[in-house]
Amino acid sequence: MLRAMLTAEELQILSTSLGVAGRAVLFSLPVAILFAWALSRPRFPGQSVLNTIAHLPLVLPPVLVGYLLLLAFGVNGPLGGWLKQSFGIQLALTAEGAALATAVMAFPLMVRAIRLSFEATDGGLFEAAAVLRASPWDRFWSLALPLAWPGVLSGAVVAFAAGLGEFGAVITFASNIEGETQTLPLAINAALNTPGRDDVAFRLAAISLVAAIVGLLAAEGLQRWARRRLEG
Amino acid sequence: MSLDLNGAVVRRGAFRLSADLSIPAEGITVVFGPSGAGKSMLLSAIAGLHKLSAGRLAFNGRVLEDVDQRIRVPAHDRAVGLVFQNARLFPHLTVRGNLHFAESRRPAARNAPIALEIARTLEFEDLLDRPVHNLSGGERSRVALARAIVSAPELLLLDEPFAALDGRRRRDFARQLKDHCRDQGVPMIVVTHQVEEAAELASHIVAVRAGRVVCEGKPADVMMRPDFMGLLDPRDRGAWIQGAAGFAPGDGVWVRADSVLLASREPVGISARNVWPGRIASIARESDGSILVSLATGKGYILSRITPDAHAELKFEEGVAAWAIVKAHAL
Repeated sequence: MLRAMLTAEELQILSTSLGVAGRAVLFSLPVAILFAWALSRPRFPGQSVLNTIAHLPLVLPPVLVGYLLLLAFGVNGPLGGWLKQSFGIQLALTAEGAALATAVMAFPLMVRAIRLSFEATDGGLFEAAAVLRASPWDRFWSLALPLAWPGVLSGAVVAFAAGLGEFGAVITFASNIEGETQTLPLAINAALNTPGRDDVAFRLAAISLVAAIVGLLAAEGLQRWARRRLEG
Repeated sequence: MSLDLNGAVVRRGAFRLSADLSIPAEGITVVFGPSGAGKSMLLSAIAGLHKLSAGRLAFNGRVLEDVDQRIRVPAHDRAVGLVFQNARLFPHLTVRGNLHFAESRRPAARNAPIALEIARTLEFEDLLDRPVHNLSGGERSRVALARAIVSAPELLLLDEPFAALDGRRRRDFARQLKDHCRDQGVPMIVVTHQVEEAAELASHIVAVRAGRVVCEGKPADVMMRPDFMGLLDPRDRGAWIQGAAGFAPGDGVWVRADSVLLASREPVGISARNVWPGRIASIARESDGSILVSLATGKGYILSRITPDAHAELKFEEGVAAWAIVKAHAL
């Protein structure tokens, strides 16, 4: 159906966007879960530093995030150079780089949703598990994670939907390369800057809007489904 | 073989619980006291969910916590089971899933009933595949007990296990607890504020009030002491007597003073099956004006509450003969 409605160019842009946002969520989800878990624990030294790191992308200009990534992961950057030399991996100016930039920007959204879910879990259940011989590690896997599942899912979906629209960090770090890093917002921007491509920009904007709405509805639906499963 | 608390202190906010106790590692020990006495906190501390702020805790010689020596065995390594008052079943699992959680984590060497057996014993086999959120209060209690039993603890703690149960279920549940304790040889500590439950279950009793142990020992000794009576609501006053069944633990019955009639002559032609002769040991006037009469019988001391009018008419005095009439349902 999509094939009939969209042009080859639009399909290409949409699939780049989905690929970038999908990978961004996939890679940052485990880290976001760890951060959220740590932040939901009773206070410990270093917790506010962790909290600051997790929320920094929310307040930094996206262009600055892209620039910082470029400094660190650029071909000549300390991490980027090491990755290139040791594994032959280049992040700057690639789809993987676009995914990394998107992941960093969507990270606070994910941490927030998952953290709220961890915090909402009844602490008494962990005590009940402890007296049934479950170690802290065991309790995390067998209780904390399954019970926070609605938050994890909706955090991932919201991050995915937001990732489809990430602009500043992606264009700074991964540039606007057609078929590689040109996601929906980048393509809209390019179309707007090209005379006579207003209709292309309009169609892309509509696709963007639909994708965002579907994402949010999916997050809501998933959360409801999961809550019903837990509470009946 | 015992659970020993030496100079143990547990704090929560301004509340302080201190205990110097040795609880036998057999039978059922009842921790009895009014609400807010610190009973649940004591269980939490024994299970390792609440830190001691001073003192030492050991079970059968194994030190579980020693504040001075900085020893603290975490809750999951104590082999101490705890059945919470509010069941705390895992909401993302079915009844079977909850039992399996416990079963899959117990050491292989421990011999204890498997999930299916215990579901049969506690009569909830048909609930196994139900999600836990649509169970009734009584069903939740039974599943929580089953889950704790399946985890094969060396000591089982129960916090107000009968709170969600009505009369008949209560009695069945008490019987099942006693059966399990006897058959599996698992010592239990049961918290309750109901004196009847305490009398029915206890082979040993610890009475607490405001964070302190008031008295402890065998129910026959402890439950007739004035300091124990002092813990009771006036309407709960009564006497501990040896139960008819005569099995341990929990071979006692609490007979409320309110359910005992007194006669100055041997009653004839009455329906009550329990008529015990005795001599009046003491007479005390209660704050509400009623008269509490203690009668020494072959069963032990029995308390009866009578009105001032009846007292005046029957001319009871210390040392005179009287007959106690107890309705069977009170036993």
